[in-house]
Amino acid sequence: MQLWLIPVFPLLGFLLNGIFGRRCSKALVNTIAIGSVLLSFAWVLKTLLGLGDLNTAHTEQYFTWIQSGGLNIGWDFTVDRLTAIMLLVVTGVGSLIHIYSVGYMAHEGGYYRFFAYLNLFMFFMLTLVLAANYLVMFVGWEGVGLCSYLLIGFYFDKKFATNAGNKAFIVNRIGDFGFSLAIFLIVVNFGSLDFGVVFTSVAGHSQSSLTLIAFLLLVGACGKSAQIPLYVWLPDAMAGPTPVSALIHAATMVTAGVYMVARSSAIYLHAPAAMEAVAIVGLATAFFAATIGLAQNDIKKVFAYSTVSQLGYMFLGLGVGAFSAGIYHVVTHAFFKALLFLGAGSVIHALGGEQDVRNMGGLRKKIPWTFWTMMCAAVAIAGVPPFSGFYSKDAILSAADHHAPWMYWVGVITAGMTAFYVFRAMFLAFFGDYRGKAHPHESPVVMVAPLAVLAALSLGGGYFFKIPEFLAPIFPLAKEPDELGPVLVSVAFGFAGIALAWLFYIFRPGLPDQIAASFSSLYKLIYNKYFVDEIYNAVVVNPVIGGSREVLWKGVDVALIDGMVNGVGHRAVGIGKVLKRLQSGNIRSYAAWVLLGSVFLLFVMGVMGGLR
Amino acid sequence: MNLLDVVIAIPLLGFVCLLLMPRSAEAAVRATALAFSLIAFLASLGLAVQYETIRPGYQFVTDIIWVTSPNIHYHVALDGLSLWLIILATLLTPICILVSWKSIQTRSKEFFAFLLLLEFGLVGVFAAQDLFLFYVFWEVSLVPMYFLIGIWGHERRIYAALKFFLYTFAASVLMLTAIIYVYNHAGTFNYPDILSQIASGKLAFNPSQQMLLFLAFFLAFAVKVPIFPLHTWLPDAHVEAPTAGSIMLASVMLKMGTYGLVRFCLPMFPGAARACAPWIVVLAIIGIVYGAAVAMVQPDMKKLVAYSSVSHLGFVVLGIFSFTQIGMDGAVYQMLNHGISTGALFVLVGFLYERRHSLAIADYGGVATVAPWLSTAFMITMLASIGLPTLNNFVGEFLVLQGSAQANFRWTVFASIGVILSACYMLWLYQRVFYGETPDEVRRHIFDLKPREWAAIVPLLAMMVWMGMYSQSFLPTVRRTTAHILEQTQMNVEIRVQAPAAPAVPTEVAHAH
Amino acid sequence: MPINFAPPSIDYIRFLPEIILILAGTLLMVLDVVLRKQSRGIYGHLSILAMLGAMAAAVLAYSSPGPAFSGLLIIDGFATFFRVLVIGVGILTVLSSYRFLQREGVDSGEYHALLLFSIAGQCVMVSANELIMVFIGLEISSIATYVLTGYLRDDKRANEAALKYFLLGSFATAFFLYGVAVVYGLTGTTSLPAIRAALTQGPAAPPVFIGVAVALMFVGLGFKVSGAPFQIWAPDVYQGAPSPISAFLSTGPKAAAFAIFLRIFMTAFEPIARDWYPLVWASALLSMTIGNFAALTQSNVKRLLGYSSIAHAGYVLVALAARSNVGTASAMFYLAAYALMNIGAFAVIAHLSGKGERFLSVDDFSGLGVTQPGTAALLSIFLLSLIGVPLTGGFFGKFYIFKAALSSHLVWLTVLGLLNSAVAAYYYLRILVAMYMREPSEAALEVEPLSPSLRAALIIPALGTLFLGIFPSWLLDFAGKSSVFVR
Repeated sequence: MQLWLIPVFPLLGFLLNGIFGRRCSKALVNTIAIGSVLLSFAWVLKTLLGLGDLNTAHTEQYFTWIQSGGLNIGWDFTVDRLTAIMLLVVTGVGSLIHIYSVGYMAHEGGYYRFFAYLNLFMFFMLTLVLAANYLVMFVGWEGVGLCSYLLIGFYFDKKFATNAGNKAFIVNRIGDFGFSLAIFLIVVNFGSLDFGVVFTSVAGHSQSSLTLIAFLLLVGACGKSAQIPLYVWLPDAMAGPTPVSALIHAATMVTAGVYMVARSSAIYLHAPAAMEAVAIVGLATAFFAATIGLAQNDIKKVFAYSTVSQLGYMFLGLGVGAFSAGIYHVVTHAFFKALLFLGAGSVIHALGGEQDVRNMGGLRKKIPWTFWTMMCAAVAIAGVPPFSGFYSKDAILSAADHHAPWMYWVGVITAGMTAFYVFRAMFLAFFGDYRGKAHPHESPVVMVAPLAVLAALSLGGGYFFKIPEFLAPIFPLAKEPDELGPVLVSVAFGFAGIALAWLFYIFRPGLPDQIAASFSSLYKLIYNKYFVDEIYNAVVVNPVIGGSREVLWKGVDVALIDGMVNGVGHRAVGIGKVLKRLQSGNIRSYAAWVLLGSVFLLFVMGVMGGLR
Repeated sequence: MNLLDVVIAIPLLGFVCLLLMPRSAEAAVRATALAFSLIAFLASLGLAVQYETIRPGYQFVTDIIWVTSPNIHYHVALDGLSLWLIILATLLTPICILVSWKSIQTRSKEFFAFLLLLEFGLVGVFAAQDLFLFYVFWEVSLVPMYFLIGIWGHERRIYAALKFFLYTFAASVLMLTAIIYVYNHAGTFNYPDILSQIASGKLAFNPSQQMLLFLAFFLAFAVKVPIFPLHTWLPDAHVEAPTAGSIMLASVMLKMGTYGLVRFCLPMFPGAARACAPWIVVLAIIGIVYGAAVAMVQPDMKKLVAYSSVSHLGFVVLGIFSFTQIGMDGAVYQMLNHGISTGALFVLVGFLYERRHSLAIADYGGVATVAPWLSTAFMITMLASIGLPTLNNFVGEFLVLQGSAQANFRWTVFASIGVILSACYMLWLYQRVFYGETPDEVRRHIFDLKPREWAAIVPLLAMMVWMGMYSQSFLPTVRRTTAHILEQTQMNVEIRVQAPAAPAVPTEVAHAH
Repeated sequence: MPINFAPPSIDYIRFLPEIILILAGTLLMVLDVVLRKQSRGIYGHLSILAMLGAMAAAVLAYSSPGPAFSGLLIIDGFATFFRVLVIGVGILTVLSSYRFLQREGVDSGEYHALLLFSIAGQCVMVSANELIMVFIGLEISSIATYVLTGYLRDDKRANEAALKYFLLGSFATAFFLYGVAVVYGLTGTTSLPAIRAALTQGPAAPPVFIGVAVALMFVGLGFKVSGAPFQIWAPDVYQGAPSPISAFLSTGPKAAAFAIFLRIFMTAFEPIARDWYPLVWASALLSMTIGNFAALTQSNVKRLLGYSSIAHAGYVLVALAARSNVGTASAMFYLAAYALMNIGAFAVIAHLSGKGERFLSVDDFSGLGVTQPGTAALLSIFLLSLIGVPLTGGFFGKFYIFKAALSSHLVWLTVLGLLNSAVAAYYYLRILVAMYMREPSEAALEVEPLSPSLRAALIIPALGTLFLGIFPSWLLDFAGKSSVFVR
C-alpha cells in the first residue's frame, strides 16, 4: 500500500521549502506546504479505503536500519485501527491548520521557514504513528520534539521564545530518558522492538520487569504529553506562533504520549501498578492544571493549561483501562482545542497581537465568525451534550467511576472547573464592552474557513465518530452499561461551571476581585502556578549548573587534576634545582664527591649482596 | 604493494613533495597538499569497495621484513575495524586542508606538510599488524600534531603543545615496555601470530603479569581517548590548536586510544580486561556525565566541544567494556560518528573564528540572522551530536547503551544522564551563539558560507544522514570483526532473548528482500 | 714464556691505525713550526686525510683479526667497531672545527695534532686486551683532551674547565690504577682472559678484595663515562670547553671508555657479574635520574647537553647491567647512534653561538626555524633522536638497550629508565619550542650561513641518525657478532 508515501509527502515539502523556499514566492511556498499535507491526507484516505476493515494490522517492511547481535530493527510501518484514527486526525487537522496559517503568518518574517518546519513536523508525527516498532516510533517521537523546539523558538531573536524552546526540548529529553530506558529493557527482555513480537509474547514475562518497563514508558509519556511533573514546558511553549500551539501543542504532538501508552496497552494490562500510576498522574494533572487555568489572563495560557488538564483526562482514561475512551478524547480534543487555539489566534490577529483577556471584551459583535466558532468549541469542551466533548469525557468518567469512585468525583470537579475557565475566557473576551485600544477586524476567509470546519467537527464529532466501537477489535468495550446518574452529574457540573462564569464575569463583574482578595494567598498560589518553575529552578537547574561550574570544572578539573599534573612538573623542576646545587663549581667539593661516590659504591656492593 | 600500501604511502609521498617545494609557492603548496589528500581518500574508497565483507580475517595483507634483529616486519592489513577508521582519516584530511586554505598564512608549506605526515601516521596506526610498527606509527603521529599545535596555535599554544606531547609520550613509553616484554615472551611482534600463540596456550602470562601488561597498554590508550581523569590535556590542546589540528585531534587521534583498547587490550589480556572492566566502566560513566556537565558551563566554544568529546568517548569505552556484541558494534560505530560530527563541529567553529576572531561564546549572538546557512549546518551538526534519531550519533549511542543494558542495566541508567546533559549544553550553546539579537560586531564580521566552506562541510553533513539512516552500509563489516574480537576475548554475552526468537526469523527474511 | 723481540709483521698491520694517527699528529706539529700563518687551512684537510687513512687501516686490520704484540692488543670486531667509531667522531669533529677555529682565530696544527693523539689513544684503549695497555691508552687519550679542553687560552671558563677535568681525571685514573694493582695482586696477571680464567677457577682470594678491585675500577671508568656518582665534572667541562671539543668529549672518549668498560667487565669480571651488576644497576639509575632532572632547569644549551650526556651514559650502563652479549651489542649500537646525534647537536651550537660563543642560552635558538630552516630541521632530527622518537637512531638505541634489560629481567630499571626518557623529552622539546614557536632572537637573526664543512658536519650525522633509525639491523647484526668476547 506504499504507506511510506504518507510521511514522505510532507518530507518533500520540507526539503523543497527548506532549501529553495527563501527564493520562492509566498504563493509557491503555500502550494508546496499545503499541497504536500493534502496529498498525504488524500493518501491516508486512499490507503484506509484500500485496507478494508483493518481488523488485523497491516505491516510494511522497507529496509533494515540497525542490525547487531541478534537485534534487528527495520524501517517498518504498520496500520491498524488505532493508527488509522491518529493518521486521520493528524493529516486532517494538520491540513486545516496549514491552511489557516497562510492567513495567520501572512505578515510574519521567515514565512518559508515556518512552513518548512510545519511540514517536517507532519513527517515526524506521521512516522511516529505509523511506526511498527518502538525505535521508529522513537524517531518520530524525538523528531516532533525537535520541530516543537524549532517552532516554539520560531521568533529566535526573542530570548523568551528560545528559552521556551530549550525548556521544551530538555524537559522532553528527561521524558525520553525514561522512554529510551524502557526500549533497552524491552530489547533485553523480548529481544526485539517490533510491536508484533513484543505484544504477542508479553504473557511469558515476569510482572516486575513489565511493570518497570511500563513505568519508564510512562515517564516518556509524561514528558511528551505534559503530565505532572514534566508539564512545565507546555505553557511556555505558547511563545510559538498560535497555529503551532494549535497543531503541535494541542491537537497532535502532545497526544503522542497517550497514543504510545494506548499502543503499549498489552504491556500495561500486565502491569496493574503502572496502570494505577497512569490514572493517578492523569487525574492529578487534570485537576491541578485546571485550578491554574482558573486564574490565567493570557488567553493562550488559559488554553495551554486547559490542554494539560485535558491530557490529564486522557491519561485517566488510559489508567482506568478505558484506552478507547482516552483515544476518543484525543480525537474530540483535537477538534475543539485546535479550534479554541485557532480562534484565539484569530482574536490575537484581530487585535494586532493582544493576548490579555483583560484588554479584550465585546468582541462578539466585531468578529462574529470567530466568536461563534469558538463558542462551539467552548460548549464542546464544557461537556454540554450532545457535543463532542460530552461523549469522550463521559466515556472516561464513567470508566473512572467503575474503577474508583473518588477518581470520578475529582474528574467531575475538574470538569466543572474546565467549563468555568473556558467560559470565563469567552465572556471576558467577547462580552461586555471593548477594553483595548486596537481596531478589531474579522480574519480573512482563509483563516475563518478552517474555524468553521473545526466548529462542525467539535459539535458533531463525538456523535458521528463512535471511536470506542471502532476500536473494539483492539480495546474490548467495557461490559457494564453506563448508568445515567454519573453522566447527569458530570453534565450538571459542566453547566454549573458555565453558570458560575456567567455570574462572575457578566452578571457581577466585581465579584472575582472580591473573592481573589478574600482568598488572596490561595489566589496568589494558583495565579503563580504553584511556583513550580521557581521550585524547579531552585532545586534542579541552579544546583546542576552551579555545581558543574564551581565544583566539577573549577574544583575538580582545574584545581585538582590539572593542579596535580602541573604539580608533577613543578616537582620535577624542583628536584632539578636541588641536583643543580651539587654543581658548586668548587673543585675540592668535586673531589669529595668522587670520594663519597666510591664509598657509596662499596656500600652498594655490600648491601646488594655483592660481597660474599 | 597492494592498495592499502598505496593509501599509506601517498601521504608520505605528499609530505616529501611538499618539503621539496619552495616555501614561496604557497598556492602551489596548498593545491599539491589537497591533491595528495584527495588521491589518498579516493584510494581508501577503493579499499571499501574491494573489501569483502563476508570473508573472515584480514585483507590487503602486506608482510615484509623491515628489521631483521629483532624480527620487525612492515606488516599492515585491514579488517572491519581498521577499514572505516582509515577512511575517516583520509576523509578528514582534505577537509582540514580546505578549512586551512585561507586561515593558515604563515609557513603554510610546513603546515600542510605536517598535516600529510599526520595523516600518514594515523593511517599507519590503524593498519599496523606488527606491535613494533604500531608503536612507530603511534609516535610518528605525535610529532606533527605537536608542531601543528605549537606553531599555528593560539596564545597558550606552547603550554598546550608540551602538555599534549609529554602526557602522551609518558604514557606510551609504558606501552613500549609492555610491547618489548611481550616480544621477549612471544619471540615476535607479529600481532596475529601473538594472538594465535595465546589462543593455543603457547604464550601465557600469569595473572599478575597479565594485569601489569594490560595496565601498561591501557594507560597509553586511556590518555589518548581520553578517559577521566586523564583528560585534562584535551581541552587545552583543542582550544589552542588551529582548526585543522582540532579536527584531526578530535576526529581521528582520539580514536587511536579506543582503537587500541579494542584491538590490543581485549584480545591479548582478556583476563585482566575482564577483571578491570567494572572499574573502567565506572570511569567511562563518570567521563560521560562529568564531561557533559563541565561542557555545559564552558565560556569558550572549543573548550565546550572538547569536553563534549570526553563525554562522547566515554560512551565508546562503555560500549567496549560491556563485552557484548551490540555494545562493541556501537562503540566502533560511535568512534566513526564522533569523528564525523565533532569534526564538523570544529569545522564550523573554525568558520566562526575566521570571521569573528573569537572563541568566546559571549562575543556571538544572532548569527542565524546574518548567516542562515551556516546556522543550519551547525544546527544539523548539533542535532547529530546530541543523538537525534535519523542522524549518525543516535545509532551509535543506542547500540552502546543497549549493549551496556545487557551487561548491567544500572550502567545504562547512569550513562543515559549524559544524553540529557548533551542536549542542555548544545542547545544552550546554539541559543547563545545563533539566536537572540545580533550585535553590530557580529553583523559586521559574519557572513554566510563560501563555496570552499560548503565543500568542506557538506560531505560531513551527508555522512551524518547516511550513517544515521542506513547503518547497514557500515555495520556488517564492523560486526564481523567485533564478533571475532569478542570470540578472542571469550566474553561474548549473547543477547538474552526470553521470548521465542521465532518471529525474528521472518523479519530477517522480510528485510532481505 | 720467551718474549719475542721481533713481533710478526701482521701485528704492525693490526696496529696500523694508531701508527698512522701518531705519525700524522707529529707531522702536523712539525708543520706548525714550518708553515706560514695563511696556509694553515690545510691542517684540517691533512688530519681528515690521516683519519680516513686510519679508518681504512682499521678496516684492513679487521681483515686479519687476532691478537697483536703477544696478546697486549686484540683486533676483533669489537675493537674495529669502536676504532671506526672514534675515528669517525674525529672526522666529524674536525669538520665542525674548521669554521670555529677560523672564527676564534686560533687555527693551528697543535689543535689537530692533539685531536689525532687523543684518537690514537682511544684506538689503543678499544683494542687493548690487557689492563696496562688500557691504562696507557686511557692516559694518551685523556691528557690530549685535557689540553684540548683548555685550548682557548684566553677564555677563563675554558681554563677552569680544563683544570677541573685534569685534576678530577687524574684523581679517577688513580682509582683505576689502584684497581689494576689489586687485581694484579690477586690474580697475578693483567691480561683480561687470564684474569677471567683466574676468577672462574673460583675464589683465588677473599671476595672482599675482588669486590674492592671491581669497585675501584668502576670508579675510574665511571668517571670517564661520566656515570653517576662520578658525573660531577661533566657539566662544567662540557660548558667550558669549545663546542667542537665538547662534542668530541661527549662522544669519542666516552665511547672508548665504555668500550673498555664493556670489555673489562664482560671479559675479566664476567664470572662474578652477579656481584657487580647491582653497582651498575644503581649507577645507571642514578645517572639517568640526575642527568635528566638536573637538565630540566638548565638554560645554557651546552650545560644542558652536558647533563643529557650523563643521562645517556645512564642508558648505556643499563645495557651493561643486562650483562649479556645482547646488552653489549645494544650498548655498541647506542654509542654509535649517540655519537652521531650529539656531535650534530653540538655542531649546531658551535654554528649558532657566534664569536666568543656568546649565544648559548635556549632563548638564543628562538626563531631559528624561520631564519635558518635548514639548520633548524637538522637540529630537530638530532633532538628528536635524543628524545627517542621512532625512525631515528636514538629510538632504536633505547629500544635495543631496554629490550636487552628486559630479557635480563631488569623490569623496574626498564620502567624507570623509560619514564626518565619521558622526562628528558621536556628539555629537548624546549629547544624545539624555541626554534619553531618563538619570535626570532638576536642570535638567530645574525647567524651566518652554514659553511660547507659545517654543512657536512651536520648532514652526515643527520643522514646517519635517520639511517640507523630506518635500517638499524645491519649495524646491530655486526654489533651482535662482535659483542661476544669469550667463545
